[in-house]
Amino acid sequence: MRTIEVTIVIFIITGAFILASSFTVLPSPREASPMNLRQLALTTLQMLDFKGDLSATVFKDVSDSAWGELQVALTASLPPNIAYNLTVYEIIPNGSGRFVYVPVKSLSNAEGNLGVSSNFASYIVTSSNVTFRAIPEKIGERIGGGTLYILNCSDAYGWWITGYTPFSLAEDIRKALSPYFQTTIFIQNTTQLGQILNGTSIQGEPVQHAVIVNTVGEAVPIPQGYYMTEGYDSSEDSYAKYCWLLGQRVRQHNWTWVSIVGYPLYYVSNTQAFSTSQNNWGIYGMKRVGPAGLNAFLQGINSQSYSYDSGWITGSPGVVYMTDEAKEASNYYGIYPSEYQTATRALPSWIQGTYNLEATAYLYEPVGQWISVATFKHQTSGALLAIGLTRPPDIRVTILALLSYYHPRIYREEFKAANTSRLVVLQLALMGG
Amino acid sequence: MAGTTIDHLVAVTAFLAAFFIFISLFSQTLQTAIIYQRHRQLAIKCSDLLDNILLNPGYPLYWGQQNCTPTSFGLREPEEYQYKLSPFSLMRLRSSTGEPVYYPKTGLWYSNITVGFGNFLLVPYTEIINYSTVLDLLGINGSYGFQLTITPLIVVSINEAQPNPLMLAVNVSGGGFPLANAVINYCFIIVSTQGNYPSYTVEYGNALTDEKGVVILNFTNVNGESTSYAIIVYAHLSGLLGIGYYEHVVYNENYVIPLISDFESREIIIAHSWDVHGGDNPAAISYNATFVMLTENYTLREISIENSTGKVGLINYGEGKPYKTLIIPTYNPGILIITYKKSTVESGIVMMPWGLSSMAFPITFGGDPSGKEWVATDIRQVVVNKISYQAKLTLWDLQGYSIVGGW
Repeated sequence: MRTIEVTIVIFIITGAFILASSFTVLPSPREASPMNLRQLALTTLQMLDFKGDLSATVFKDVSDSAWGELQVALTASLPPNIAYNLTVYEIIPNGSGRFVYVPVKSLSNAEGNLGVSSNFASYIVTSSNVTFRAIPEKIGERIGGGTLYILNCSDAYGWWITGYTPFSLAEDIRKALSPYFQTTIFIQNTTQLGQILNGTSIQGEPVQHAVIVNTVGEAVPIPQGYYMTEGYDSSEDSYAKYCWLLGQRVRQHNWTWVSIVGYPLYYVSNTQAFSTSQNNWGIYGMKRVGPAGLNAFLQGINSQSYSYDSGWITGSPGVVYMTDEAKEASNYYGIYPSEYQTATRALPSWIQGTYNLEATAYLYEPVGQWISVATFKHQTSGALLAIGLTRPPDIRVTILALLSYYHPRIYREEFKAANTSRLVVLQLALMGG
Repeated sequence: MAGTTIDHLVAVTAFLAAFFIFISLFSQTLQTAIIYQRHRQLAIKCSDLLDNILLNPGYPLYWGQQNCTPTSFGLREPEEYQYKLSPFSLMRLRSSTGEPVYYPKTGLWYSNITVGFGNFLLVPYTEIINYSTVLDLLGINGSYGFQLTITPLIVVSINEAQPNPLMLAVNVSGGGFPLANAVINYCFIIVSTQGNYPSYTVEYGNALTDEKGVVILNFTNVNGESTSYAIIVYAHLSGLLGIGYYEHVVYNENYVIPLISDFESREIIIAHSWDVHGGDNPAAISYNATFVMLTENYTLREISIENSTGKVGLINYGEGKPYKTLIIPTYNPGILIITYKKSTVESGIVMMPWGLSSMAFPITFGGDPSGKEWVATDIRQVVVNKISYQAKLTLWDLQGYSIVGGW
């Protein structure tokens, strides 16, 4: 009797095992240890679009040979045991804030559906014909001025702009900054520099509240005539007094004077006037002023009387790191200089008290008393943007520092153009077991 | 009474036997499921680890251009995003396939990523990053083993179809599939033996591959039997870019071997082949080194090497004859081309990539997956200084697991 009962129990357990086994379907080895097809698809699309080739191809006519080349490239870049299906969709707005995806073309090395074990990545590409417009606010719209003077004097040499020419730097500055200014003017020679120092415009532009970018590095162009005679300190055999005059003009016209690299106003340059003089490093057309130039400039901007002071005031804090505000500005304006730089001519913070300046728009964190890149705004009028980094100059730092100081807004146009974006979907599946 | 007892005994015995059999059966099903689950976990770990290696530049950011051991491991190009790798970080990985080379004059062993005669990449063990260090840095030492393989996607193979006048057959493929209509840009370098030191001239050209991915290049004014030459071929199609190269030397009894000496100062040792490999008829040879970079239009631009840093020289073999050194002038990837000669009719050319991708060198780094119980593999497409590569990570579990109690 018990044997019969046990036999019945064994039958029940056997039934339970068979039933459980029929539901317990273990995954195939391929499913247990799958390749990440989604990432493979994404990286394949990214690689094909590395130089914009994919973006260019998907906007071509469907009969264009580039599609065939894309298929060859796709086949060549994927392992032989992978089936693919690349489909390109046109993205069309339907007018009610939504989009309709219309298939344009498919490329595949497999027939039919790739199956449920396939995976895909999608990638949106934009036609190279599309241009995004952004309208920047003009500096000076609110407070007047808005003139950008770029010193591109053919009769002055540069120093510490190693690897660049003043013209190339001037051109880069013009390209980057002119959209932000009402007027951009190249100062082509020292005569024109003398003209604006006297408050006379070149093309009828407002001279007041202008920005002057000195592209010749540690040197500064000096006009012949008044500024060379009045700017000469015969007792010290120095043109430091010219720098004092510059400081006065910066204050008088409420200018922002931009020194793009190194020690500001360390040399004066005029290739004609100094054709037989050299700057102690063998460069003719240039005379050394030394630290006295900057000291005199600061006296001038602070409306102090001129007093020759050859004391070295800059410091060398070494590596400096970008401030959070500067990183924000960097993203806002789309200008990305290195987030760390080497500063060897940083200005000391004590000049703020001595010359009534206020350091604003720091681009790099100060190290102790040393401020490597900031705009020193005088409490009355005028400002000095000093970039105390080592050579060669990174003009992006100058551009970002200036934009951080004025902070013009950018009005970006909303992108609503139709037929300019396409969606590329790459579906992959493993073939075989 | 006896019948009841026997009935009980049979029933209990049968029940117990059936009970244990079913426990075993269920247990085996469960354990198989657990192992499958662990395999799946290994695959996920493999994918994560591969992304971690490829999307992270490591620290210091430019460890590939320095002599230090990184404190965080990653291969991404510091100034790039996504799957773009640093050619210098890759160059500092110890190759697990090439036979190491010993150079007695420095007393150092060198990791060998050389690809055939004349295409050398030898990095001293003092400068490379080895497998165990990377396991530590990735935090998987003792838990997992891996092998990372970075191989160029596009294979450009070149062979001599006819020596005189010279005809070279270029075959372009990817994944075994011919790359039809691929654009070929080539730089043909001919060694000149005039003057005290050898030099070279460069001829540029371009062509298209046929439907079989093949193109024949004709050099009607070159006698391939009596001329030492090299050719560097760039093949590109729809976003993919690959490199191939081929050298023919008329003299290879004595030649120069460039060895990387120091990444940070970019110092290269110019060694005599006899000092490294031995051989017959050793003799002094003169050499002339040039560093070139690939431009956007697939031509080579020379970056001058200062004469004072060993650009040219005479190199001898054996004791008391020191090796020469030179300084690569830039951290940008490029190719060091060294022509050498023993006489006006005995010359040759060797090349060394500065940055792994400059000559599309592959590298295999890590342990050996053979004999492992279960290995997970994952793949990503990557770009190394414009060259299309495929990165494959093979991962295995070192802790081990097995089925217990099964049949």
